[in-house]
Amino acid sequence: MDDVTFNPGSFFDNVDKFANSFGYQNAAIAIELAMISWPSPEERDSFIIGITGEDVKGGNEKNYIKRNF
Amino acid sequence: MTTAPENRGGMRPTAPQNNPANVSGTGGAGQSGDYTGFAYGQNQTLNNSRVEGNAAVASVKATSAAPSGDPYAGINLSPIGTFMDPTNNPSEPITAGVDFGPGPGSEALPNMFKSDARQNENVQIAMSYLPDLSLAAQSPNAPDSYKRFVNYLIQNANGMPNG
Repeated sequence: MDDVTFNPGSFFDNVDKFANSFGYQNAAIAIELAMISWPSPEERDSFIIGITGEDVKGGNEKNYIKRNF
Repeated sequence: MTTAPENRGGMRPTAPQNNPANVSGTGGAGQSGDYTGFAYGQNQTLNNSRVEGNAAVASVKATSAAPSGDPYAGINLSPIGTFMDPTNNPSEPITAGVDFGPGPGSEALPNMFKSDARQNENVQIAMSYLPDLSLAAQSPNAPDSYKRFVNYLIQNANGMPNG
């Protein structure tokens, strides 16, 4: 059975993306944002890009398929 | 022949005397407000004093008139919007004052807004969620960036006196 812990859009995937995009010093914000039920990973990533003005950070090629907006 | 309920005798809960809003403010002195039931001559005296007292109270006016109109007239306050509303200050990036994104970082904030509250909040969050976050870090699919973040939380929690 596949490990779904870090599937795109999962809580832990959200934590990874928010924490690495906003910076570890903003861990509290990152974890709270990770708890939001985002409609899709794309919308979550759009939110991050809108805030930071940069690409989403975190994840790796193995479990994260970067999307073009 | 049947009598309608509202026309029957006996106790009716909806009768005017059962409505607490109909209680006389003068303590049951009747609709006129005049005192009755005192000894002969006293009713007239009491009623006269009541009338004079009411007239005296009515003649008293406040020393200053209450301000009329909008007390905030002339003060230009921008309306309070919601979290998702467009910014009221489009010339400033919305991330100004925080340590990511465009604009100045937290060094631009006034001293009154600088505190270690965020650091304490981070420690509290770390202590609350670290067990689960650490467990997830042991997943074979856990990305290195996630493991680095969890390590940061562990070091942060250990670095605090009560961590």
